[in-house]
Amino acid sequence: MHNGQTSIELIFPSILGYEVVARRVVATFADFVGFDQARIDDLKTAVGEACINAIEHGNQLQPDLPVYITSSYDGHRFAVDVSDTGTNPLAIIKEPKTIEEKLAGAASLRGMGMMLMAALADEFIVEPSAAPGNTVRLIWYQREVAHT
Amino acid sequence: MLEDELRVSTRVIGNIAVIDLVGDVTTFAEAKINAAYQEMSQNGAQQILLNFRQNDYINSAGIAILIGIVTEVTRNDQKLAFSGLSPHFQKIFRMVGLSQYAKIYQDEQEALTDLQDAATA
Repeated sequence: MHNGQTSIELIFPSILGYEVVARRVVATFADFVGFDQARIDDLKTAVGEACINAIEHGNQLQPDLPVYITSSYDGHRFAVDVSDTGTNPLAIIKEPKTIEEKLAGAASLRGMGMMLMAALADEFIVEPSAAPGNTVRLIWYQREVAHT
Repeated sequence: MLEDELRVSTRVIGNIAVIDLVGDVTTFAEAKINAAYQEMSQNGAQQILLNFRQNDYINSAGIAILIGIVTEVTRNDQKLAFSGLSPHFQKIFRMVGLSQYAKIYQDEQEALTDLQDAATA
């Protein structure tokens, strides 16, 4: 169990499959600082989705464009920032399509990533990066916080 | 290799077509899962059990593949069920609504018993 301020950084190319590497690294870090397995499972899924968004939508599958991950822990708050370097802004889906709409052919079968991230993290924020690109910030607390 | 992280195989037990999914369910799984489903359907399967084992990870692309299977099952008037899901997978399946369209069983044996009972009732 790690109680002080600590962080890791990771950079990977915009190639599908690298999200698996990233989520494993972040999950190992979360385990290192003492998160329980259920929260690590949530974290792995959400981080994987953030990375796929960065690769596919932010960086448009251009392998030479990097995805940056910074993950930090301060003894209470575990944050993961996933930043792309593309110029394509991520679309914020306020009301994701339901499975009924997908089954009826009224919506793409894809497009559940944002909903999963919002549901699995305690806090979920999408914002433009200082440099070109987008940052998805996912936050978990050691103790459950009420969703508002 | 990441593309090989899901192994898919098929079996028939009684009147139930079992599709075993061992590994991660991601975009790389699409061709394998769809091929297994099509094979079972062409052989006349009416009840299909997706039996998950050693699954560490599913993402939105994997969920989309399963929603596609639900679409086909509905179109073909078949019955679909899931078994062997980890607690995290069960949570995800309920979150996205898959559990509304396919019953979730704790394990393969529970699924086979219930599906066979239902078929003979």
